[in-house]
Amino acid sequence: MTVALAGRASVRPARRVTRAPARRHPAPRTVPARRASASWEVRSFAAVLAFIVGLFVVAVLYLGQTTAVSAGGYEVQRLADVRDELRRQNALLEVRIAQLDSPTRVENEATRLGLVRARTVPIISAETLAALR
Amino acid sequence: MDAVSARRLRVVFWLLALSTVVLAARITYWQTVGRSALLGLATGQLRSDLAIPAHRGVIRDRNGAILATTVDLRSLYAIPGRIPDHAGAAARLGPLLGQAPAAIEKTLGSGAEWLFIKRRLPEEVARQVAALDIPGLGFETEPKRLYPNGTVGAHVLGFVNDEGIGQYGVEGRYDAALKGADGRLLVERDPSSRALATGLRTEVPARNGADLTLTIDLVFQAAAERELRAAIEKEGAKGGSVVVLDPRDGAVLALVSYPTFDPARVAQADPEALRDRSIAWTYEPGSTMKAVTVSGAIDQRVVTPSTTYNDVGYAVIGGRRLNNALGKAWGPTTVQQVLERSLNAGAAFIASRLGAEKLHEYLGRFGFGVPTGVDLAGEQSGTVRPLAEWYPVDLGTASFGQGLSATPLQVAAAYAAIANGGTLYRPYVVASRRDADGEHRTAPVVVRRVIAPETAATLRAMLTSAVDNGLAKNASLAAYSVAGKTGTAQVPSEDGRYIDDVYISSFAGFVPAENPRLVAVIVLDEPQSRLLGTVTATSAFRGMAIDMLRNARVQPDRQP
Repeated sequence: MTVALAGRASVRPARRVTRAPARRHPAPRTVPARRASASWEVRSFAAVLAFIVGLFVVAVLYLGQTTAVSAGGYEVQRLADVRDELRRQNALLEVRIAQLDSPTRVENEATRLGLVRARTVPIISAETLAALR
Repeated sequence: MDAVSARRLRVVFWLLALSTVVLAARITYWQTVGRSALLGLATGQLRSDLAIPAHRGVIRDRNGAILATTVDLRSLYAIPGRIPDHAGAAARLGPLLGQAPAAIEKTLGSGAEWLFIKRRLPEEVARQVAALDIPGLGFETEPKRLYPNGTVGAHVLGFVNDEGIGQYGVEGRYDAALKGADGRLLVERDPSSRALATGLRTEVPARNGADLTLTIDLVFQAAAERELRAAIEKEGAKGGSVVVLDPRDGAVLALVSYPTFDPARVAQADPEALRDRSIAWTYEPGSTMKAVTVSGAIDQRVVTPSTTYNDVGYAVIGGRRLNNALGKAWGPTTVQQVLERSLNAGAAFIASRLGAEKLHEYLGRFGFGVPTGVDLAGEQSGTVRPLAEWYPVDLGTASFGQGLSATPLQVAAAYAAIANGGTLYRPYVVASRRDADGEHRTAPVVVRRVIAPETAATLRAMLTSAVDNGLAKNASLAAYSVAGKTGTAQVPSEDGRYIDDVYISSFAGFVPAENPRLVAVIVLDEPQSRLLGTVTATSAFRGMAIDMLRNARVQPDRQP
């Protein structure tokens, strides 16, 4: 390269050394290579995490459903017990009704109240009534 | 890393490895070889195999009123270890349970982990005990057979013993149908012993017992029991029986035996009271049998109602003298009057016209000497000796109901045959049965034709006259025609002779006479009024017939 110096005689140009161009090794793609592996790791990690989270969600859903079914089962059983108790009470009431309706009890109660048996019970024939009309 | 550390590390490694191998081996063992044992233990903890008790069938009267039913009552149990104050708990429970607190405290301190304090409590008592909220107490339900009408219908119903087996009556006769079949429940339980509706659940449902509807009418039954009890108390009698049948089909409308018992408290009953005097007790029917003798004679046309003989107060048959009651002689007497005046000599005269062979045949045709076949347990057949064993005098004695025995039900069935026109029906108590297959009705069973319809009509008229004009007048009703016959029979002793001055009084009749709706037989065993016991028997008939006819809405057939 010749450098022109102002005011001085020109200088013999420097000897140009011609070298063979240096053999360039491909520059390591450190920046793009790093980016690719980081991306793969992140994706893998995200996938595994998503899988685990998904499993967890499924498990939670399953447990929730099972719990709900079990709770429902307890409720069914509780209602069945309530139903059975109501049936039992109903049967006891039917017995009580039968006891109160008993002709012997009614007669004893009537006697206790001072009622007496009717000596005569007039019977009016339907035909007689119809004839009167 | 120095050699010591490396060695220690190796030791730890091998220890852990060994532990892992052991654990793995154990896990493998319990997952394979020991699996069934573990599973069995877990299953035993989780699963419970329970019997589902079948409910015994309900018994109702013909109108649907409950006569017998099973309900679940609460039984009080205790876990003494969880009761903090035994004495205090006993003091609070004692008044409610009707037990001495000291006895309850002793029970709680017996060392048992779990025990019943009192079983099958009345519901009100159970509520009061529950309200005490004593820790360590709880309830279990247990079935109990209840009879809402107390002693009414005790003999026809029977009872259920402590093992749940029906005894006597309908409970005994239909036990297999009534008890049903227990079911089974295999279910998983949680740690609190609550049954899980999900999970393993295998259920074989219980097959409850069949429900029975009887031919018995509760109102009729109550009326009959009332009248019989009053008659027995008035007469100071040993016991008695009432049978009421529907003559149109043999349905038993009422069946009473006294003394009686409470089916819910059989343990306290007098053993004699358990005997059903309407079907399991025989007696010599006496003059009520005259209707059978006259029926046979008229059916065979050997006599008519107006056939006459000369009554001298007795008859001689086979060398034996058979007297009228009180020995009275009536002179010229018709067959009709034999029934009205209840003349033994007249009955012997009629029997002699009929002959021993025919009389014996008619006794058999009317059902005497064999069980009626009623669907109750323990029926007796009564005794009519074979014709070959008859002495000549038996012709006379059998004609007025002595020398043979019958149950009140047999006498009622015979009178029902006269009432309905001559057909002998088999009495029956269960009208229908309802089970899982539906309702099954009992069809009336015709045993045989006993007498011609004309004969039956003639007897109805004669027996009506016996009430209107004869010794049975006390059985008459103002608005209804009544047909019937009284009976006063001597009681045989064990040596074959008759006991002096001891009688069985009875009345057999049906009403209304021309279109009978009910046949009734009342029997009083050894009334203190002796020969006048028939007056009380006829009064009892009148008292219950009025209620029955009114309840059944039977139109009067006479002007009062």
